[in-house]
Amino acid sequence: MSTEGEPMVGGPGAHVAEGGGPPMSLEIFEVFRQEKEGGPMVHGGSLLAPDGELAAHYARELYGRRQESVRLWVVKRSAIHDVTDPDLLQPPMDRSFKKPVGYSAGIKQKLAEARERAGGQE
Amino acid sequence: MSALTGATGTSAHGLDDATRDALAELLLCMADDEFVLGYWDSEWTGIAPLLEEDVAFSSLAQDEIGHAAALYELLAGLTGEPADRIAYGREVDGYRQAALLDHARGDWAFSIARRFLYDTADAVRLDALAGSSYAPLAGLVAKMRREERYHLAHMHAWMVRLACGGEEPARRLAAACERLWPDALAVLAPPAGERRLLDAGILTESFATCRQRWLGELAPLFEELRLPFPFRPAPGASSSRARPAGAPAVADAGQPGRLEPTFPEPGPEGRTRHNDDFRWLWGELTSVYRSEPGATW
Repeated sequence: MSTEGEPMVGGPGAHVAEGGGPPMSLEIFEVFRQEKEGGPMVHGGSLLAPDGELAAHYARELYGRRQESVRLWVVKRSAIHDVTDPDLLQPPMDRSFKKPVGYSAGIKQKLAEARERAGGQE
Repeated sequence: MSALTGATGTSAHGLDDATRDALAELLLCMADDEFVLGYWDSEWTGIAPLLEEDVAFSSLAQDEIGHAAALYELLAGLTGEPADRIAYGREVDGYRQAALLDHARGDWAFSIARRFLYDTADAVRLDALAGSSYAPLAGLVAKMRREERYHLAHMHAWMVRLACGGEEPARRLAAACERLWPDALAVLAPPAGERRLLDAGILTESFATCRQRWLGELAPLFEELRLPFPFRPAPGASSSRARPAGAPAVADAGQPGRLEPTFPEPGPEGRTRHNDDFRWLWGELTSVYRSEPGATW
């Protein structure tokens, strides 16, 4: 049999238990699934659960009960480092030279000019 | 009972008539247990305490009906009666589920307690059939055990959470256990013809031994969760019969150390006398079948 659960701590999505008891604190978990061995882990969706143990059970029911997964990763959303800073991800300067294709700004124009200079001596 | 009045003479399965009838009775009891529990638990669809649990509990209920279908098919192969007719075509008195499965779903704690008591008893029953000489049953049990292991873990998680989840959940859970224990014993009441099943190797452990193993495994958990456990060692039990740490308390029935109920031992009608809750459920679950008996859906 499985181990005891972690203490139920407050968090987002606190629900009121049936029968008007104390609120049941739920946390958001993100579920990643692998369709076949060796394949990539793809985000499947999220769920609410009071702790990791039940989250794993619910992940199985929501993302694995039809045998559509061979592996699940169940992660507390709060454990994820959310990176959205535009200064990091969308810098204001032209950084196209960091792309694999090299410079992209005006590259077609430059190529056309180079051909012209060469005078068609190809 | 119609399911048991199949062909006479030599069985195609190499079983004599009496052994085949005993096996049929055992299969019917197990199938009805799973079938009726599946219907009761499916009543939580849409109203479970949280959406995720709603999906999970409904899925578990479907699993049980799936196990029942497989067991009815096994029975059909033995008796020649169609599985659907066995499942839906009987009168109330023809059903053989244990008294534990007769109760309406009750509150959430009641459903969890009932399901935990059933799943744990069923697990030891399946253990006693995993090595069955009746290959079709051994094969099915191997598959069922893989699913039941997960069901059990799910129920265990809820038992712990309710027992440790504050005054009201603990009180409701304790009340449910108190109420259900006597009827829970019916799950492992020795089946008719048990001796024949043991002799034929269809069953590898008596249900009396199964019951001791079941209670022995549950005792520490119920103590830890401070839940009612109305059993005590039989007189003459020696406390010096220590067992290795972590080992289950195994004791054969009739030996000192076996656990006996502190309430009167339930009578033999635990699978034959059904209550009004089940009469109502029977009306529901057979309504479509009865609307056009023999129809192909």
